[in-house]
Amino acid sequence: MILLKLISWPYVRQHLPRWLLTIAGIVLGVAVFVGIHTANQSVVYAFHQTVDRIAGSTQLQISAGETGFDETVLDHVQAVPEVRVAVPVIEAVVSTGVQGQGNLLILGVDMTGDRSLRDYDLESSGADDDIDDPLVFLAQPDSLMVTDTYARENHLGPGAKVPMSTMDGQKLFTIRGIMKSGGLSSAFGGNLAVMDVYAAQKVFGRGRKFDRIDLALKDGANLEDVRAKLKTLLGTGFQVQVPSARAQQFDSISRVYTLTANVTSVFALFIGMFIIYNTFQIAVTQRRTEIGILRALGATRRQIRTLFLGESVVAGLFGSILGLLAGIAIARGMTGYIASLLGEIFGIAQKADEISTNPALMTFAVVLGVITSVVAAVIPARSAARVDPVQALQKGKYQQLSAGENRARRIAALIIAILAAACLLFERYRIFFYVGDALAVLAALLLTPTFALLLARALRPLLRWMRPVEGTLAADSLLQAPRRTSGAVAALMLSLALVVALGGLTRASYDSIFGWLTVALNPDLFVSPSQSLTQRDFRFPESMGAQLRAIPGIGEVQLVRDARIEIQGKPTMFVAADIADLRRHATLPPVAGNTEEMFRLASQGKAVLASENFALLNGFKLGDVVDIPSPSGMLHLPIAGIVTDYSDEQGSLLVDRALYKRFWNDSTVNIFRIYLAPGAAEADVKRRILDTFGNQRRLFVLTNRDVRRYILRLTDQWFGITYVQIAVAVLVAVLGIVNTLTVSITDRRRELGVLQAVGGLRNQVRGTIWLEALAVGTVGLILGLALGALQLYYSLHISAEDMAGLRLRYEYPYPIALWLLPGILLVAFLSAIAPAETAVRGSLVEALEYE
Amino acid sequence: MIELASVSKVFLGKRTVTALENVDLSISRGEMVSIVGPSGSGKSTLLNLIGGLDTASSGEIEIDGRRLSGLSDDELTRLRRDKIGFIFQFFNLLPTLTCQENVSIPLHLRGWPKKKIEERANELLNLVGLSPRREHLPDELSGGERQRCAIARALSVYPPVLLADEPTGNLDTHTGAEILALIRDLHERLGSTVLIVTHDIHVAESCARLVALRDGRIEEDRAGRLKYGVPGVPIHDPAETH
Repeated sequence: MILLKLISWPYVRQHLPRWLLTIAGIVLGVAVFVGIHTANQSVVYAFHQTVDRIAGSTQLQISAGETGFDETVLDHVQAVPEVRVAVPVIEAVVSTGVQGQGNLLILGVDMTGDRSLRDYDLESSGADDDIDDPLVFLAQPDSLMVTDTYARENHLGPGAKVPMSTMDGQKLFTIRGIMKSGGLSSAFGGNLAVMDVYAAQKVFGRGRKFDRIDLALKDGANLEDVRAKLKTLLGTGFQVQVPSARAQQFDSISRVYTLTANVTSVFALFIGMFIIYNTFQIAVTQRRTEIGILRALGATRRQIRTLFLGESVVAGLFGSILGLLAGIAIARGMTGYIASLLGEIFGIAQKADEISTNPALMTFAVVLGVITSVVAAVIPARSAARVDPVQALQKGKYQQLSAGENRARRIAALIIAILAAACLLFERYRIFFYVGDALAVLAALLLTPTFALLLARALRPLLRWMRPVEGTLAADSLLQAPRRTSGAVAALMLSLALVVALGGLTRASYDSIFGWLTVALNPDLFVSPSQSLTQRDFRFPESMGAQLRAIPGIGEVQLVRDARIEIQGKPTMFVAADIADLRRHATLPPVAGNTEEMFRLASQGKAVLASENFALLNGFKLGDVVDIPSPSGMLHLPIAGIVTDYSDEQGSLLVDRALYKRFWNDSTVNIFRIYLAPGAAEADVKRRILDTFGNQRRLFVLTNRDVRRYILRLTDQWFGITYVQIAVAVLVAVLGIVNTLTVSITDRRRELGVLQAVGGLRNQVRGTIWLEALAVGTVGLILGLALGALQLYYSLHISAEDMAGLRLRYEYPYPIALWLLPGILLVAFLSAIAPAETAVRGSLVEALEYE
Repeated sequence: MIELASVSKVFLGKRTVTALENVDLSISRGEMVSIVGPSGSGKSTLLNLIGGLDTASSGEIEIDGRRLSGLSDDELTRLRRDKIGFIFQFFNLLPTLTCQENVSIPLHLRGWPKKKIEERANELLNLVGLSPRREHLPDELSGGERQRCAIARALSVYPPVLLADEPTGNLDTHTGAEILALIRDLHERLGSTVLIVTHDIHVAESCARLVALRDGRIEEDRAGRLKYGVPGVPIHDPAETH
């Protein structure tokens, strides 16, 4: 401790900018880690809170995915002797259309029984009604209860009329109760309204169906026993779960997103490690005299090592705490965005305005930051311990602490590379695939100094040709101190490899999705009850199909019902449509299966068609039988064809509508797909549809172009996180270059002084720093683009088999590489401006005396 | 050639240090002058000011008729390029460049054509007797050879002024004598004005003129007492130093 105070602290004070740059690596890593996790957790926590608060004292919930079930199920459940109370629920999220208010969660409940499950805790009753009597609330189907937060924010009082777009057109609802804050009221960020369940059936087009039954048991009844009994009673098509299980579905659906976010944050820390390594390595080189004096005065090797490791702990701790604060600030900015992103992509809307900080996560982040810092400092600390006091104290003598290049490392890298290649032979065992990827990166890292040296040697003649003195000195600076540059080059290489891999993946995904949109998504118009196609809370009656067919200019109408149901415990998109109709417009050949055969079997209700991502993510092949739970029992259908379909990120199953209607007893429709009659004008037909239904139904008519734009917008949003990764990667790489150059100009102070003393102008001195930065950038760029080619291969496989189920073609993203070329060189140049200015502003006399 | 009028240099900091105080000095073209004095007497500061590596706090300095005060950094550098050659105690050669490349640096910085640079570098290496070592790196040279290389670099454009800061300070006695003889020889052959800062009184006395500094002021300015006509002969008796 005393050594830290006496030796380290003065050094830190003297080299404050460099120390700040060092900890910037940790700050950035921890900030991204904490920011993304906190934002993510806040959304998940908000969802859990909403589920928990809405559940009230509910002990079990019965549902059938998103498809709902008949009202009669309620009677069966209520008849179970152990059930004290069972109430129906309809739950939907609607857009309020009010600026800044976002979505409103509407809970349709049966007030007669519901109050024994949920505490509505009402404020004083309204002017004309007494909400304390549930029958009054029930008797008036336009009744609505809102939370006091919502009422206050929208200046609504008891008796106020609220317009709402329902499946039967625009209706006015009357506020007949205002719930006090706390408990149920704080669900969904307070944007909650309660209405009668039967009114909700009409509003949302549910027909005679409920979404869910919430129940509580009689005293003494065993939860697990009753759960088993209800499962047996209702059959496999129903889920009987404790309320918290519902929140787990959210976790399951957003799994891929969370995984991607984790990769980003860990990656940021990983690259940050190289910056710390770099700085510590340089610090050891520069402080060798000081170390020599300490050793001469009796300090043991162990004490020297501990001194440097102690410094790394302090740097890690300081950086982590700053990162923590920055991370919380990032989370504040990101939470709302993530909530709406998950809502848009997965159709699981959530309002999350506040962040929830998790002490365990915060502690973990600090520990992770400190560990990263210490791990990065291990090798430099060992080098410090090896300093020879005699050599260190000789003026003008430089002890080569490491050749920076050694045979043992190259051999190790070669063996690791061979192991990585061998892992590919067993890639069907996923663990080998991931280990192979990690080994490939490790081999690349171990080979970085060798490749950096070779490339710097190759660049020397070019730089020399460009600027005989400045260029030569810039190249020599890299050749002379490979340790100084290899950290920055490694950080840049990893960053750019990530950019290439993610860029390639994104590009391939866009290409595939665009191809699918062009070829397969070919209806002219889409009629949807909601502007967002992933929102499935409103449904149309089947009868609307015939009304649509009667509109002049409409050639064909396809009725589509989609809902998420649980297959093998995973929420899966289930799509029901008339297969014979689809066949007529199908233009994309199946990935597996015979076109004629698969459509024939599926249209007869004898088989199911699976999307390629469903098959890949769940390990299904052509001919495999899928067990599909329905309210009428388990369906066992073989996969007759695997098709390209990107409509759901988790994959989808397609069945014939007749089969769906029979087993789910559900004739509602989510979307009508419309093909125009020959010669009909899109705008005319759209207008006619709106004229026909505009006042009676809540509906939106989207053109093919609108839908494409919508899907591409969602894709953009999804890949938004990719851009965050790229930005973080480039930022860390910039820090690496600035750090290296800052150290380089300190190391080369005398050299630069000599250059000026023998007639080098300021611009010529700047030139050598700029060229050094460009050389570091070029070396990092070449290595990064090469490693990126390899990482793209791994990324495509991970994406195909473990994340999105998209089998994408390997195509090196040359346009991205072409953009990176000037981009990184520009970034490198910009990174060099401040260090170059420092280099020319210093005292020439001091530089020449510098030792 | 070199004129100093009331030149002072004050270093400001926690403690203000006056390194030079009202120094007046005039050195004619072709003179060989030594500057001596104990540590901290201001001799290196004086050399740095004359060489344009540092700026005076007050007073005027003129080199070959050109006033240094008011010159920008780049103008000072151009003046150094054309009129001044530096020889340092620790040679200050760039370790990654060969002998020839080190000598070529000032010429490249001037933007000379490649062929001309090559010719001049060879000529200079010949002059200092280092032609056989032209492709060697500084690490592969002896101390004396490194200083010869540094001298060749300082002479790159045959500047009218040659400033040497302890040129023999990092060399053994014999090599030191050789280097001094070389400087003397070049001075005679090229007619440059030479200023040598030294601790070694024998080196100082071997110059035609000796300027002694103490506490930032000129204490003595007189002719040197030792005369050597034959290059390569030791300046002082090694036995005397022990």
